[in-house]
Amino acid sequence: MNFMEFFWILQVLIGIGLLISAIVAIRFKNLIMAVIAMAVFSLILSLEFYVLQAPDVAIAEAGVGACLTTAMYLLAIKNTTDEEVIE
Amino acid sequence: MRTSLGLLAFIGFTLFLLAAMISLRPFGEPPHREMDDWFITHAQIEASANNVVTSIVFDYRGFDTLGEATVLFTAVSGVLMVLRRHKKEVKG
Amino acid sequence: MTTTIIKTTTKILTPLILVFGSYIILHGHLTPGGGFQGGAVFASGLALLIVANKYETIKTLFEKVPLSVFESIGALGFLGMACLGFAGYTFFKNVIANSGFPIFGGKTPVGINPGYLNTGGTLSYMNIFVGIKVLAGLTSIVLIFFLIMRRERDEW
Repeated sequence: MNFMEFFWILQVLIGIGLLISAIVAIRFKNLIMAVIAMAVFSLILSLEFYVLQAPDVAIAEAGVGACLTTAMYLLAIKNTTDEEVIE
Repeated sequence: MRTSLGLLAFIGFTLFLLAAMISLRPFGEPPHREMDDWFITHAQIEASANNVVTSIVFDYRGFDTLGEATVLFTAVSGVLMVLRRHKKEVKG
Repeated sequence: MTTTIIKTTTKILTPLILVFGSYIILHGHLTPGGGFQGGAVFASGLALLIVANKYETIKTLFEKVPLSVFESIGALGFLGMACLGFAGYTFFKNVIANSGFPIFGGKTPVGINPGYLNTGGTLSYMNIFVGIKVLAGLTSIVLIFFLIMRRERDEW
């Protein structure tokens, strides 16, 4: 396996992972699971930035997107109710 | 009615994104290279840092970073102003 | 959310994350990263510390830390470092680099080099000030979200 084949296989895997985590983050009714899926989305996106040779953006995305917004969303959900209200 | 409208919008947006993806340039070949080449060859002499991204962010485009710092300061002070308690027990 | 597993993991992981954030801030002029990225990593370590501990512990721990003073120091230091260029040059002129100043004022080698920490001039100072500002701002946002939590739902 040379470098370009590995690059394109990684691109396809990252795309599939981004799509799956985004659909999971939208479709789940449990809000904490949705927030964790969003953190996974940010982590896969930072891996994509690193593969595309932008390590600055990858570090910023991993720090802000995967950790800080997850902590903020978790604290906000904890301050309100846990389940989404379906009427 | 709403479902068919949504489907139409979905198909149109997908076609737009596919057209945009096909007309992309190959990876690593931007249309204008002159400014990039200038930054890559001259940044170490003019801004005296090994990291070209840092020398662009803090030296060539310093006013951008100043505006970003102002935006962050405004966001933090807005959040603290909205969410503070009126007693004297929260220091943030 | 304060089980033994989370407390032990946080106790081991937090110093590593804080050291990594400081490394990214201090080596901003040599390696990928800079003030904003290092400050975000440092603030994520502090957010891990905040989320995994009890309400009273965090309240007594962060009462003595003047985060708003850090934020102001970062903004004013960044502006002051930019204003240093008025001494003979223009705004944002890098005056400390290659001048022989003992801290961050060394001579920058041209070409491919391993990277020396004592170079960079005002870029390194700006990295440090922006890092202080970003870590204070993001930590204070997470901290205020934690501190407005209602007391009766503290178990989770």
